[in-house]
Amino acid sequence: MNRLPCTAAPRASASPGGNKPGGFPVCQGNTEARLPDHTTFEQLVLPHLDAAYNLARWLARDTHDAEDVVQDACIRALKYAGSLHGNDARAWFLTIVRNAFYDWLGRNRPAEIVHEDDDKIAARIDPSSPNPEHEALRRAEMHSLSDAIEALPLQYREVLVLRELEEMSYKEIARVADIPIGTVMSRLARARALLQRSPMLQAIGGQATGSER
Amino acid sequence: MNCADASTLLSAYTDGETTMLQGHWVKRHLAACPNCAAAYDDMLALRARLRTEAPRHAAPPELRARVLATLDAVRASTPPPARLRVRSERWRWLSGGALAGCAATALAWFVGTAVIDWRANEDLAVEAVTMHVHATLGNQQIQVASSDRHTVKPWLSARLDYSPPVRDFAQDGFPLVGGRIDYLDRHPVATLVYRVRNHTIDVYVRPETATRVAPSALRTIRGFNVAHATGSGMDWLAVSDVNADELTGFVQKLARESGMP
Repeated sequence: MNRLPCTAAPRASASPGGNKPGGFPVCQGNTEARLPDHTTFEQLVLPHLDAAYNLARWLARDTHDAEDVVQDACIRALKYAGSLHGNDARAWFLTIVRNAFYDWLGRNRPAEIVHEDDDKIAARIDPSSPNPEHEALRRAEMHSLSDAIEALPLQYREVLVLRELEEMSYKEIARVADIPIGTVMSRLARARALLQRSPMLQAIGGQATGSER
Repeated sequence: MNCADASTLLSAYTDGETTMLQGHWVKRHLAACPNCAAAYDDMLALRARLRTEAPRHAAPPELRARVLATLDAVRASTPPPARLRVRSERWRWLSGGALAGCAATALAWFVGTAVIDWRANEDLAVEAVTMHVHATLGNQQIQVASSDRHTVKPWLSARLDYSPPVRDFAQDGFPLVGGRIDYLDRHPVATLVYRVRNHTIDVYVRPETATRVAPSALRTIRGFNVAHATGSGMDWLAVSDVNADELTGFVQKLARESGMP
């Protein structure tokens, strides 16, 4: 359970917010020497294909890109199946999906990778900062709660999706997103605060529960 | 506990991720503070909305099929270790009788080289098909997109230690659409991409060498045809899902006519 999985190309530098500069440990030696046989591997990973696709889809915000990411992640998972210890195949596989996504992002949309600490992200997207134009644009783009989630910064979006849609524990999220548990906690709190202030929620759900905070 | 403390913990409290002591204090504070209690209700309402309105995207069935196909392709390109064991057992058996051993060794040498050639051949074809499948799936099929051989050829030459002849066969129904660099048989290789109707043909072009085992002219691997020819000083290996006759004809034409001025 505590062993972190290998990743085919650990590119921690491309992973924003990863506090440890080295990211995931690169497994040494023989973990990739033998491919597992069909049944074992497919029994381990394929049940989590929906989870993998869901994460990739929310991160990449595009169906085709998400499919490419999952495809790549499956190949990596096959190669590094030897690094899976214990029975937490889902967290292990989602870690690989997330890494595959950041590698994909580095190749295809490098501009979206932001190296910032959480305070800077929070300051950048602070909804109380006066920027009417930006606000109007956001309002026009938001048609559903999904749009509001997609508008969240990547670092917040990933913890929110892992928590609310995959229903993972903070410990599992910390492992998948390669951040300390305290960071999981603060990012989730900020993600929720942003969603609650988003025009989408104000418009429909907000009036029911009071939105002055 | 004051409101500021409570609000920092509220999100984790909603997730049941506070310590027992923290949870106890938050609970007590919520009972006493209507503002924070309302914030907690908002948090629960948000969760309810997220779980009903934000879709958990399910993997499309095509993706599942694609993943299975790719896994098979990756496995096919990595021979299982069992094969090595078989070979060493064969050798132990051969060292039985001296004379019989010699005769058998001589025979084994002939058969062995034939088998190794056949395997090298097989591995090369499998590798070529795997690359073709990967390129098709990953949408990374073309690194230099052009039907102009004067664009494709220099692009390839600049990245290789040889200069493959490049020719557009659009007038024969095989337009050149571009090229890329792949890695085949432990060497970088020029890949020319042609199109015929809706099919893609990848052609791996390498310098012809005397030592290399001549691959069989045509093989079919997992539904893909692999056709081979030599000519114009090069070794031509074409992979496509287009029919075998057409692919064989095309690769022979390539080998014959590509080098023409």
